[in-house]
Amino acid sequence: MNRVRRSLQHSLATRVILSTVVLSIGVISLTGSALYSRLADGILATSLNSSLAESRYTFFNAEYQVLASQALSVDDRKRALAEFVVNTSTQGINEERREVIFIKSPNGANTTNSYEMSTNIIKNSSIPASLRANVQKSPKVQHAYAVARYNNGLRVDSLFVGQRINIPTGGRYEIYIVFSLKSQTATLDLIKNSLLLTGIALNLLIGLITWLVVRQVVRPVREAARIAKQFSEGDFAQRMKVVSTDEMATLAHSYNDMAQSIEQQITRLEHLSRVQQRFVSDVTHELRTPLTTLRMASEVIHNQRGTFDPLVARSSELLVAQLDRFEGLLEDLLEVSRFDAEVAVLEPVELDVISLIKRCAAEFDVAGNLATPEIVIRSEATSVVINADIRRVERIMRNLLSNALDHSDGKPIIVTVSATDSEVAIGVRDHGPGLDESALIRVFDRFWRADPSRARVRGGTGLGLSIALEDARLHNGELDAWGRPNQGAHFVLTLPRKAGEMINSRPIKVTPIDFHQEVFYQ
Amino acid sequence: MTLIMVVDDDQDLAEMLGIVLTSSGFDVDMVSRGDEALEVFRNNPPDLVLLDVMLPGIDGIEVCRLIRKESMVPIVMLSAKGETQDIVRGLEAGADDYIQKPFRDKAELVARIRTRLRRTNSDVTGLLTIGDITIDVTAHEVRRGTTLIQLTRLEFDLLVALAKDPGRVFTRDALLSEVWGYRQTTDTRLVNVHVQRLRSKVEHDPDRPEIVMTVRGVGYKAGGSA
Repeated sequence: MNRVRRSLQHSLATRVILSTVVLSIGVISLTGSALYSRLADGILATSLNSSLAESRYTFFNAEYQVLASQALSVDDRKRALAEFVVNTSTQGINEERREVIFIKSPNGANTTNSYEMSTNIIKNSSIPASLRANVQKSPKVQHAYAVARYNNGLRVDSLFVGQRINIPTGGRYEIYIVFSLKSQTATLDLIKNSLLLTGIALNLLIGLITWLVVRQVVRPVREAARIAKQFSEGDFAQRMKVVSTDEMATLAHSYNDMAQSIEQQITRLEHLSRVQQRFVSDVTHELRTPLTTLRMASEVIHNQRGTFDPLVARSSELLVAQLDRFEGLLEDLLEVSRFDAEVAVLEPVELDVISLIKRCAAEFDVAGNLATPEIVIRSEATSVVINADIRRVERIMRNLLSNALDHSDGKPIIVTVSATDSEVAIGVRDHGPGLDESALIRVFDRFWRADPSRARVRGGTGLGLSIALEDARLHNGELDAWGRPNQGAHFVLTLPRKAGEMINSRPIKVTPIDFHQEVFYQ
Repeated sequence: MTLIMVVDDDQDLAEMLGIVLTSSGFDVDMVSRGDEALEVFRNNPPDLVLLDVMLPGIDGIEVCRLIRKESMVPIVMLSAKGETQDIVRGLEAGADDYIQKPFRDKAELVARIRTRLRRTNSDVTGLLTIGDITIDVTAHEVRRGTTLIQLTRLEFDLLVALAKDPGRVFTRDALLSEVWGYRQTTDTRLVNVHVQRLRSKVEHDPDRPEIVMTVRGVGYKAGGSA
């Protein structure tokens, strides 16, 4: 049932065919039954006229027989009438028998001599009461259709024709002739069956024709839908075939024009974006050579700072530091342009996450001064080997640690590691100023800073987290951020243990376990 | 004096490299065009070539290939391109090492150059065997039977590093520190490309190595003596 409903909802063809068939069933049965009733009326009217004519003649004959037998004795009269009944029943225009019934009218008959007689085949009670009433009331010939019940149990549609008749010494009688309508019924049945068969055949044909016609219309529509789907899936070369000059061809032409125009637009935009990315990449490359010269020159100068005036010496230190920062920015920009150009590729190797984290943490320990907060690593396993791009995972780790250290307010950074068979998660938790709702949304945006008024301690490029996110996604991993004002922040990196596979769960939830939602009582 | 040929089209960078290298005690020969490099190389063979990738005339990778055809001199590529394919292309053309611009500091540059010039494994002498290969460390010769196999200095060092410690499995990081003198670096492309190149010279069938064996998930080791 559901399948039918679905088919109705989703298939234009089914709907059209079904409604056409339903409507034609209605029309055909209406016309069929009208035709049938006209034919039935005609056939019955013809037989009625001949039957009535025959009846009048027979009734006249009966009256004559009665008159002629006036002089006879009662027994002889009965015999004459019986002879008449037998003669009448066997004489007919066609081979059919007529059944004849003499029956006493109620309250009008002499009860001493009964002239009731019949061919004794049909039960007298078959004669409809209404017909008998009419016959008793009127001297004219009356008729009615009814079912004749035969003594042997048969029931046959029949025409009853009756008239009253006076029999001397017998009183008032009614005479009925029963014409079997068997042949007419047979004819009508034949007609009915033929009409029914023709109707069914006609309906099937109409269904078939509709299907053929609908298919002609629906097939190109389906084809168009298929092509549009492929187009929307990125196959911009798909075009509709134009095979005729009808409305479908007009549709195909318009569709193809649209596809052409979209393809051109996309090509133009792709070109623009390529030019843009190429430009960023070229600029970055071109900057590297002079930057190399600058660095070496600054270093030569820096190495001589002992002989400089203190102001010049400090300037040379600033020069070296800023060149470092400039270089970091350049590297990050180049990396971003690689992601934008979608040319970043994974180079996965087997690596141990725990030792990688220790290595990254150690770098900060060396680089930082005494004020660097402690980095605590919590892991149940002593080694978690995964297959990933080590350069990128290191970069993510450095970015997360550097970000956490920048916002730690001197409190320890907690790094947790948890792994399942298919995923590994690394959480980096700080207890610094944290992030509010609006900051969380933008935390991975390029060049976005949580608090512009804060001093830039470590001087990050502002691209670190956005690159970390891209690095994670390149592994089919995810980088989630959590934060609450004054409750610190929590960044969770989830990676598949085998590069390129999907992550199905998050071994570490982004809401940190040391965070308990405060409950306010009113 | 040790002569270093610097091939770079950027005049200022070349001059700066000259200043740094001269102050570190090297002689420097400057070339600014790729198509002039080979002639200068032939006229005055250097001890090491410092080669930029982007050059007018013919590019650095092609220059590297041409020099490698006639000499086993150490070649260090100087590249502003961080893209993997450029680095791999340079290494496949025969470069021993590469330094990405901008380098961290001049010490890094000088250290790399010195590593390439130094004869590593100076503690090893005499004959080593690995599979059906014989290595004469003193004479700096590698033979299969009586056939001499031409190896670059770096390929030789790599082979010796593996051969002198036959049972040991070397991780890529270990090889990087032993052969290239790197510390705390994770660029395994360097190792991969050179192992491929070494195999193409010493193996009967580089697709089924018997001399330099891969230990899956760990690194490499010397093949057993057959």
